[in-house]
Amino acid sequence: MAGSHSNWRPPRSCDVYWCEFKHCKSLFNRFHEYYTYGRAPDCQQWKEDYYTCKEWEKTHSTHAKESLQESERKRVAEQRKFTPVWELRQTPPADWHVPLNQGGPHDS
Amino acid sequence: MAQNSAKGDDFINKEPLQEKKEAEEQTAAAESKQKEEDFGYGLYPERSSSKFKQGSIGESLFTFKHKCHIMLQVAMDTIYKDRHFSCEDCDGTVSGGFDAATSQIVLCQNNIHQQAHMNRVVTHELIHAFDHCRARVDWFSNFRHLACSEIRAANLSGDCSFVNEISRFNFGLKEHHQACVRGRALRSILAVRKVSREEAEQVVDEVFDSCFHDHAPFGRIPHNKKDAKFAYRDYENRDRYYANL
Repeated sequence: MAGSHSNWRPPRSCDVYWCEFKHCKSLFNRFHEYYTYGRAPDCQQWKEDYYTCKEWEKTHSTHAKESLQESERKRVAEQRKFTPVWELRQTPPADWHVPLNQGGPHDS
Repeated sequence: MAQNSAKGDDFINKEPLQEKKEAEEQTAAAESKQKEEDFGYGLYPERSSSKFKQGSIGESLFTFKHKCHIMLQVAMDTIYKDRHFSCEDCDGTVSGGFDAATSQIVLCQNNIHQQAHMNRVVTHELIHAFDHCRARVDWFSNFRHLACSEIRAANLSGDCSFVNEISRFNFGLKEHHQACVRGRALRSILAVRKVSREEAEQVVDEVFDSCFHDHAPFGRIPHNKKDAKFAYRDYENRDRYYANL
């Protein structure tokens, strides 16, 4: 993170928030939310974030910045709200790119 | 959709059986033990030996290999990936698999005949490949890992879309997606491992909550092209996103 206040900008561009809001409210998405989770989608936050983003563009206020950051951090936390079953790697498996022997039978 | 793991030694046994009774019994016992668990390799006979020589006329005339290659190219929209994809004839009704031993996706050229099906199988197997690449997945001896990847693949590949389920005459609405994911993960496990249904169900139940909510790399469950487009947009924007959190 750069740290300097003047370098900060919203994590997504404002029109993306509006896009996500419209998409969230669409019939298609509402159907799939019900099909998957048995409930209606909660789209309000996208709309609020859009207005906050616009406000920040106009005023560069700290309140708008913090509000957006908090909202996005909540989204990230939601995404990570599960205990992984496995351990993540730092690098791909050693044999990922090893060329195959396409001729004879595989040896174990 | 079924998944492979470590190579079974079943195919390489070329030593002649011994005459002596003890040795015979020993070999028979060893063979039957090996046959008990072949990690699903029986479904993919061409993994060990091919009916036709690669690139031969026989292959081009008598198999669907060329069609498979073309459909794969359309699905991937890029150059054909020689290393990580293989079009082969498979057993039964299985559509594809991921061979963790060679890091290769197997596409069943005799069972995939439509582009939409190919797209879905490629997505499904790519999720296995993605898990293999980004995590320490023990495909061979850890059922939880296997179940987890199958749950994710069924969840995120479009296997359980409303339309696909209707076409299988599985009519369900509220939270049916989850029921479908459970069912298909179960089937995939049972296809490649010699376990009882109860055991498989138990493992799926254990890891379901965790794995159903793991949406990597999409950040959402992609139900249609727009979802996928938005997910890709998020991916392209990731540097800005994390820098400004």
